[in-house]
Amino acid sequence: MLNMLPTDSYRVYILVVPLSILLLAVPLWIYSGPGPGFAALVVAAFCFFVISSLVRKVVKAREQECLLDLQLIQSQKLAAVGELSAGIAHEINNPLAIIAQEVEWARHQLQAEKPDGKSLAELKDSLDEITRQVDRCREVTHGILDFARKRDPLVQSTEINKLVEDMAKLVEREVSHEGICVIRQYEKDLPPALTDPPLLRQIVLNLLNNAAYAVGQNGTISVETRMPDNGKIEIEISDTGCGIPKEDLNRIFDPFFTTKPPGKGTGLGLSLCHSIVIRLGGTIAVQSEQGKGSAFTVRLPLEYNSHKSR
Amino acid sequence: MSARPKVLIVDDEERFRTTLHKLLAVRKIDAAHVGSAKEAFSEIANNDYDVILLDVKMPEMDGIQALGRIKRENPQIEVIILTGHASVDAAIEIMKLGGYEYMLKPCAIDEVVGKIESAWERKLIRGGKTMDANS
Repeated sequence: MLNMLPTDSYRVYILVVPLSILLLAVPLWIYSGPGPGFAALVVAAFCFFVISSLVRKVVKAREQECLLDLQLIQSQKLAAVGELSAGIAHEINNPLAIIAQEVEWARHQLQAEKPDGKSLAELKDSLDEITRQVDRCREVTHGILDFARKRDPLVQSTEINKLVEDMAKLVEREVSHEGICVIRQYEKDLPPALTDPPLLRQIVLNLLNNAAYAVGQNGTISVETRMPDNGKIEIEISDTGCGIPKEDLNRIFDPFFTTKPPGKGTGLGLSLCHSIVIRLGGTIAVQSEQGKGSAFTVRLPLEYNSHKSR
Repeated sequence: MSARPKVLIVDDEERFRTTLHKLLAVRKIDAAHVGSAKEAFSEIANNDYDVILLDVKMPEMDGIQALGRIKRENPQIEVIILTGHASVDAAIEIMKLGGYEYMLKPCAIDEVVGKIESAWERKLIRGGKTMDANS
């Protein structure tokens, strides 16, 4: 955390301590004669020099500490930008490489004097692949834009159970044919929360999609809402999927971190969820055991506070 | 000794490696392709390859670790790293481990073919030197 310069509070000591002794010297001079009074004056002057010298040293040390903090923050920022750029480069360069090769292959097909049915089919396949890879690039760039977009949440009174159920139904339609069962456990009489519904929908949908991906086939996704005594609403989405390896747990909210195969995930979903939850003034936590499944818990305040959330 | 290089493409992007395989075939370069470092090791153990085109970011074992093992077990094979992941540190590491070249995707097929041919030439020259030293 950045240290603020507390120079004024330290400088007060330079005056307060000698002044206190000086105030003591005046009654001493009056009641006990000039001897003790003079001694108190000497002590006051001595204290003044010692304390001012100490305070100067402390202030200088604090200034250096602040400078180091600023340098640390700057280097962390640069490291984050570097990591982000490398991630973006990888996610864009791979589809670009496929596009470049497909163009080359299509050109080769067109060079034939009389393109036959097979050549035309290959040409069509190349064009389809180019379209798929362009979509993949678009997904990455849109994800980055969403990640970077800092629009202020548009707060409305929101029925959390209804919002979560809408998303659960949406995902259930997609996963039911894979033998995945969606179990609901909603807390009754959950009070409406003041939050941003589209942003919250994005979080819930993302977590549900991740859960479905982790389960793959024949498993369970559990959706739970509750309100513990801490005055926060909790939404928990858990699955019986493959789980997350221990060594990956502290990286899952990093942008571009993904364990999905190429083209299947941008690695922006969870980092986006994390960023939105923070903007909504909440927290997100994960518990996972490899081979058994994962549980993501989103905790949100009942009332969004714009000052606390920034 | 073959008149054209035998190439192994190691990349987890299936479409990338299949199209590259077709483009190399058009240029009369005999190539095979696999999707992981593990598959690459068993391919190398069963077949002779002159040049390997190796991706960096792959599941289970990344390309840099794979490069280290390939150069330890088969120092005669030339390895070209072909990756979308730009990193100066990785490039230095690759050169230290004995990688022939570090190419950033996307790159033109003629450029890839050029690098394969120069890597192959180096392998032939090295092989020649080894034979001279042995004779």
